[in-house]
Amino acid sequence: MRALLILGLIPSLFAAGADAPDVSATNLANGMKLLVQEDHAIPSVAMYLFYKIGSRNERPGVTGISHFFEHMMFNGAKKYGPKQFDIQMEKNGGNNNAYTSRDVTVYTDWFPPSALELMFDMESDRIRDLGFDPKIIASERGVVYSERRSSVDNSNFGTLIEQLSAAAFIAHPYHWPVLGWPSDIEAWTMDDLKAHFRMGYAPNNCVAVVVGDVKTADVLALAKKYWEPIPSQPSPPEVRTKEPEQLGERRIQVRRRAQLPIVMVAYHVPESKHADTPALSLLGTLLSGGQSSRLYRRIVDRDQLALSVNGGAQSSLDPALFIFTIQPRAGVEPVLAEKALYEELAGIEPTPEELRKAKNQFLANHYRQLKTGAGRANLLGTHEVFFGSYQHLYNAAKEIEALTAADIVRVAHLYFTEKNRTVATLVPEVSK
Amino acid sequence: VRLLLFAAIALTAGAQVKLPPFTRTTLPNGARIEIMPRPGLPLVGFRVQLRGGGESEPADKAGLSGITAGLLRRGTAKRSADQFSNELDSLGGAFNSASNEISTLINAEFLSKDFNAGLELIADAVFHANFPEAEVKKLLAQQVEGARTVKDNPGAAVGLYFRAFFFGPQHPFGRITDDISLARITRDDIVSYHRRLYAGKNLTVIVAGDVEQSAASSALSKTFGAVPAGEPYTWVSDAPPQRPSEPRLLLVDKPDATQTYFEIGQPGVTRISQDRIPLLLLNTLFGGRFTSMLNQELRTDTGLTYGANSRLQQSRLTGVIAISTYTKTESTAKAIELALDILKRLHDNGVTTEQLASVKAYIKGLYPRQSLETTDQLATILGEIDLHGLNRGEVDDLFSSIDAVTLERANAVARKYYRTDNLTFTLLGNAKAIRESIARFAPRVTELDIKQPGFGAPAR
Repeated sequence: MRALLILGLIPSLFAAGADAPDVSATNLANGMKLLVQEDHAIPSVAMYLFYKIGSRNERPGVTGISHFFEHMMFNGAKKYGPKQFDIQMEKNGGNNNAYTSRDVTVYTDWFPPSALELMFDMESDRIRDLGFDPKIIASERGVVYSERRSSVDNSNFGTLIEQLSAAAFIAHPYHWPVLGWPSDIEAWTMDDLKAHFRMGYAPNNCVAVVVGDVKTADVLALAKKYWEPIPSQPSPPEVRTKEPEQLGERRIQVRRRAQLPIVMVAYHVPESKHADTPALSLLGTLLSGGQSSRLYRRIVDRDQLALSVNGGAQSSLDPALFIFTIQPRAGVEPVLAEKALYEELAGIEPTPEELRKAKNQFLANHYRQLKTGAGRANLLGTHEVFFGSYQHLYNAAKEIEALTAADIVRVAHLYFTEKNRTVATLVPEVSK
Repeated sequence: VRLLLFAAIALTAGAQVKLPPFTRTTLPNGARIEIMPRPGLPLVGFRVQLRGGGESEPADKAGLSGITAGLLRRGTAKRSADQFSNELDSLGGAFNSASNEISTLINAEFLSKDFNAGLELIADAVFHANFPEAEVKKLLAQQVEGARTVKDNPGAAVGLYFRAFFFGPQHPFGRITDDISLARITRDDIVSYHRRLYAGKNLTVIVAGDVEQSAASSALSKTFGAVPAGEPYTWVSDAPPQRPSEPRLLLVDKPDATQTYFEIGQPGVTRISQDRIPLLLLNTLFGGRFTSMLNQELRTDTGLTYGANSRLQQSRLTGVIAISTYTKTESTAKAIELALDILKRLHDNGVTTEQLASVKAYIKGLYPRQSLETTDQLATILGEIDLHGLNRGEVDDLFSSIDAVTLERANAVARKYYRTDNLTFTLLGNAKAIRESIARFAPRVTELDIKQPGFGAPAR
């Protein structure tokens, strides 16, 4: 691992090649995949469970249910009842979090090595025998509603991106928000919850990653004891709907009280596994990574049209969006910032120095994420799920290194077209 | 997302795992150099620390230390802003400069092979910035607008309103960097602030990462030994916030808010207080982890909020202990009532043996990955030791200090600090909808419109 990091960071050493990262990969008999990486630097372990279920597996009427389940998984199972997951974990020196995206639901546990077996026991308990107490469900609905109020209703960025996605996708499930529409949060039933649990929470639908102060053999033994006996289930149904090609620019507005406007410009781009992804990622760095990037220099610094500008795409299983977010300055017509963005996108022609700079930035940032055991657990799982193999994590540097200026120009011209874009503008309302 | 990470768990010491070895040298000009070699990743981190920060600013110019830090990379005697950014990004380096209430921090990171190039860039920015007029105007204008946009983020805004209201304009912690204070800052202010504070006697440079001790030491001594010695910064003396003679409440009106954000605070301790370790344990139990009393009852049991916590400020001057949460507009009074009830129970009943054992294990379990895993974390500890005049016992003796806290001591500390009388409340939400129901929490209510410039600090 450490050796590979050095390879990644120093381009001249790429040729040396070293493709045996010290990650042990095992497929359990029930179809669960387990990745283990030992790291004894500090007495701590990161255990990440990636369930391949997210809002893309939902349908109208139950939107947001994947995210709700992220919460329900902490509300008690057969052996460890309500609150026990957190109580046990904390008193053993650990803590946790979880996140849900359009594609996955991820449970993230951090704890000292002494709690390793407890974590296997508790994680297997909740996959196998989750409880469904109506009273707890009612209370958790309130929590999820509060989360929605904070991150959408009382957040201008949150509101705008929800409206943007809904406009950019008319058919594919990426149309609806991960948190769900309010009416669905209020309406889903016990049957919906049980069906969703059956669909998503099977060992064969899970990639588990353990990184830290452990012995690989111990982890494998515990996995065989606690996880392997859990029966597999049919995989979630394939997501069949494909987003039809966009036929022309779409523009929407959101009006609400705000100090400054926001502009988001989104282009449809392919899924993470697609061959164009590395070029799009590097293009994102070239356009908006650091104060020497093209968009920062033009829009924030030279023309002083905006306070900030960022661009990029999230990892995704299905074709997704590359989104530019601009916060225009007070008194600046948002369309002026938009126009400057389009000029920069159309005129992209990276110099050799600029390309080298973007590669160095990209690689350095990539490896900064690997500084911690938790960061590595997250990236190993992300690459396994979104790029087809954890090994891809170690190839990413080579893919980026191989890109040419022509690759960058080609993807910019292919995807950043007027016909392919959706523009959402938050217009501050004049308050009474 | 299941929860937002608690800002409150800002732990600062650890043990069982010892602080790795480091060296400390004081140069003839007063600059302190600390080096902690950590082989492994081919990266080297620099933490350049200047004493002063927010408390060293003129009272009516809050933000001066921050804008000075922000401008360091925006033009030097040798490089334009563009050239600096280009060289930095070409190395894949990171450079962040900002200030907090007691210091200015420049955090930078480079590949270890670029140690010398990185060091030259840092020193050029930190000591040879020449603050071009155009860049000053540009960054000031951006920061004025940035300060306004905080009001689009009610969770962040309520904390600033609370701070201004709790500490008041006479106290350094009560002076908020806002559109009003930033508008008063001129280039001359910046240049003279830089000349006064960016001096050898006021400087500590910490390097942690993949470096060779003696080579790093001579390069750092040469570079930072050349800085003028200047005068050491004189710290402001501590004037601890006093508990008012009756409860007081600030209500900030945001008519379109669908939930109310609130903070409830009272006087706390300094970073070097003898009560800090027991308070750390108590505050974690009260509102510093998922199963904390506040989060259990306001979130898990009642679904009133997505998260509730208690913040224990640990700084050079006596700080605040503050409950912080939010709830939908209609349940505002109910949530405040419940928070006060939990506070009263902590005060009256204290915690149990089981709770104390659990929180000790929790803090010790988290500490290595929160504070000792990366070179950035290690440099942060060295920086705190330096700023607060501590020693390596901060880390090496932490676990034994935690273990030494008895139930009796913990509960005495609970009674002393988690009081229910004469609290300071700040609420941000739809005033019209909540005004009546919250009147009972304080004899007088001060109201502010969120549209008013700045963050207030209205007369107390």
